[in-house]
Amino acid sequence: MPNLNINGRNMSVDAANDTPLLWVIREQLQMTGTKFGCGAGLCGACTVHLNGEAVRSCQTSLSEAVGKKITTIEGLSAKGDHPLQKAWIAEQVPQCGYCQSGQIMQAASLLSKNSDPTKEEVVAHMDGNLCRCMTYSRIQKAIMRAASEMRTASATTDRRAT
Amino acid sequence: MNTHVKITKDIEPADLSRRSFLVGTAAAGLALGYSAVPGLLGADSALAAPSNFDPSVWYSIAPDGIVTVTCGKADMGQHIASTMAQIIAEELGANWKDMRVQLASNDPKFNDPVLGAQITGGSWSTMMNYDAMSRAGAAGRMALAEAAAAAMGVPADQLVVRESTVTDPKSKKSMTFAEIVKSGKATKTFTPDELKAIKLKTPDQYTKIGVSVPQLDIPSKTNGTAKYGIDVMLPGMVYGRVVTPPVRYGATVKSVDDSAAKKVPGFIKAVILDDKTATTTGWVVAVANTYDNARRAADALKISYDGGPNAKLSSDSLLTEARRLQALDDSGLFFVKDGDTAAAFGTAAKVIEAEYTTNINIHAPLEPMNATAQLQGDIWHMYSGNQFATRSGAIAAGAAGVDPKYVVMHQMWLGGGFGRRLDADMMVPAVQAAKAVGKPVKVIYSRENDMTMDFSRPLTLQKVKAGLDGDGKLVALNHDVVSAWPTKRWGIPDFLTPSVDKKGGLDGFTVNGADFFYTVPNHNVRAILNEMAHNATPSGQLRSVAPGWTFWAVESMVDELAHAVGKDPAQYRIDMLDGKGANAGGAQRLRNTLLAAMGMAGYGSKQLPKGEGMGVACVSSQERATASWTACVAHVAVSSSGEVKVKKLTVATDVGTQVHPDNIRAQVEGAALWGLSLALYEKATLKDGGIEQTNFDTYTPLRMSQMPEVAISVIANGEHATGVGEPAVTVIAPALANAIFNASGARVRSLPITADAVKAAMSKA
Repeated sequence: MPNLNINGRNMSVDAANDTPLLWVIREQLQMTGTKFGCGAGLCGACTVHLNGEAVRSCQTSLSEAVGKKITTIEGLSAKGDHPLQKAWIAEQVPQCGYCQSGQIMQAASLLSKNSDPTKEEVVAHMDGNLCRCMTYSRIQKAIMRAASEMRTASATTDRRAT
Repeated sequence: MNTHVKITKDIEPADLSRRSFLVGTAAAGLALGYSAVPGLLGADSALAAPSNFDPSVWYSIAPDGIVTVTCGKADMGQHIASTMAQIIAEELGANWKDMRVQLASNDPKFNDPVLGAQITGGSWSTMMNYDAMSRAGAAGRMALAEAAAAAMGVPADQLVVRESTVTDPKSKKSMTFAEIVKSGKATKTFTPDELKAIKLKTPDQYTKIGVSVPQLDIPSKTNGTAKYGIDVMLPGMVYGRVVTPPVRYGATVKSVDDSAAKKVPGFIKAVILDDKTATTTGWVVAVANTYDNARRAADALKISYDGGPNAKLSSDSLLTEARRLQALDDSGLFFVKDGDTAAAFGTAAKVIEAEYTTNINIHAPLEPMNATAQLQGDIWHMYSGNQFATRSGAIAAGAAGVDPKYVVMHQMWLGGGFGRRLDADMMVPAVQAAKAVGKPVKVIYSRENDMTMDFSRPLTLQKVKAGLDGDGKLVALNHDVVSAWPTKRWGIPDFLTPSVDKKGGLDGFTVNGADFFYTVPNHNVRAILNEMAHNATPSGQLRSVAPGWTFWAVESMVDELAHAVGKDPAQYRIDMLDGKGANAGGAQRLRNTLLAAMGMAGYGSKQLPKGEGMGVACVSSQERATASWTACVAHVAVSSSGEVKVKKLTVATDVGTQVHPDNIRAQVEGAALWGLSLALYEKATLKDGGIEQTNFDTYTPLRMSQMPEVAISVIANGEHATGVGEPAVTVIAPALANAIFNASGARVRSLPITADAVKAAMSKA
């Protein structure tokens, strides 16, 4: 049975190698924060990280995920307090909320590489994630807010280090 | 003019005598066959915890002081559960940190106090629950104060209730809600008359209403813990994937060959639906131990169909039929019949006619349709997020072949609603699959199932004929609206609107908005059922419903008339919003809102470059009796190839009273962007009886990169609170079309607006 490293834990699962990672996460591991939206990589609701890269878990087979570090919304932070999650609450982003796990995971992969993105970079990075409630402007604001917080935190850490 | 259901102009308070309102009555089994059901969500959980204080069915206060509000409305992102809690907390005097929400079951005691059913739509929830929730909160506050007065030995009338604490300013004694509930002394009951007599706060006394408190559901929607229908997990549960026929409606299954499906590991059974509710036709469910195996099995099934009577129909057929029906003198029923339009056309100085159309639109909420069915004893437990628990329970019962009282609906958060979850089709495969395999079954539609079997916004055709007098004033208007009738499909006569000449019931939810607030002395509106579209594309209510197309026609035509007589289109509207007769009040509010939007946008005062233009529109959506007065100024740039770039949408809306200002802005912005998406980006088509678009590659709602600047002004003038989820949808398309005309001279009359259509219209200009 394949072993998965997910949110820092090793878990064995019982599914065929070509099973989409999405359904393994949702059904076998009962982590339902990752959502099914389109099954075709067109909406981004199922976004998770593989070794820190945002991927569509509906388009990722179980075998592609074996041996990699998988992170889902449940594992993005210990207490739901990643700067993006805090910013999502501060900006009161979610309406129905169904796409928001995927939005946050997609955004996290941007900020982990670029903590000072321009608006254009945010749009380019996020354009594959649909929000049917159209909360796009708040998503943008929350990303900028989180980026700012991460830069401040990082500057504080740098000062401490020196 | 539209007097369907029980909505009156001023929204009368609920008939409280029919409600199990008082302490203890929830335990009395008033709920007819429901109260004995174990595991019910909602306030029945209070039965197991007798030490709670339940001043009303709508909330319970636990001995730790936590106030849990049970929301009978579907929460699809409008944060209505939080809003109900906010209204209760205002009168109760609770600290916002103590408030929690849960979602109601279909127990009739949670029915909407005005509508008498559990249905969420129409942007009605806040306005129709405001009074009942206020009184429920106030009753709890009075009961708590009375108990505290007895315990502290002071008169109740000198107590102050604030932030979950009852304080006596004279003796400085105080008790928290938690202490009072723990004491067990809060037992006061209220008769319906006493409830009605409660003097509610005046707006100047509000401390919570009008404040943007943190929405109670939002944290759970940032960490993956919010549970939607698709997230339900039951012990022993298996999974179903529906296989839907190539024809939207009317197909039948001739045969199913499951020999290949049987080779899929975990495959259990292929179930052919026997749907006596006629909600679905020709559906099969592949059931397996996992959803992915159910999908593989579904793909492996070889099904042959009889396509049925609609198998050759296309969007063109529906439009041709609509034109045929519109041309007949005796088609349809009158929704409005004021004055004598025929005579007025005879003497008019100028007559202008135009045809406006909209294509089929798909709801496509991001959570695909799903439902989980579990039979326990005699009771069917249905888990889903749905907007119409009353009817969905009945459809589930119909699918199961039992009386509706044996169905318990467990409400979940909705991953988008937009009207889609008013329909109950997902109950049928879940129930029949669970029945066939003898286990709980969660049925999840693929996106392809979801799109091709949507209860869509219908294709519409509107013909508008306007007569002007010698001064260019609109004196006669004939407005024909041809469409499928979504509400007729429900089979609930109360939801139909009697025609003005009492010749029958029409679907008011296809013509609302056409009864506008302009003063036009001779005015006819005909609602015409397109039976062919009704049968081939069973339609539903899509966010903003009829005003999403009626104002497309009205507000485009008014613009055309203004240009035809050389008047400024905004001023032309203002002149017609004179507030005469039945339009008094509403017309002035709409005029003021239009002026607010014009001011914000700099309409008429800004010099625009060549190829750019501003256009206005103003609407009284959703209904005459429940309007939020909304206006838009759209600013566009149009290229020589017809490409439209939306530079800015300025929206003003008069909502009377703001419960949650930040949420109103969020809803209005979402609604405006929906309006933009429907106007420019979303189009579904019927071919060979089936919807051609199957996923987000061909049906393409607005994405982040297509979002223009949106400026919003919310007007709160102290009138009754109105709804905000939908009205702004309806004002965008006509404002855009009018802006496109001002920018380029191109008049477009079909939605969605395409570059090709703009270019073609430019060459005519």
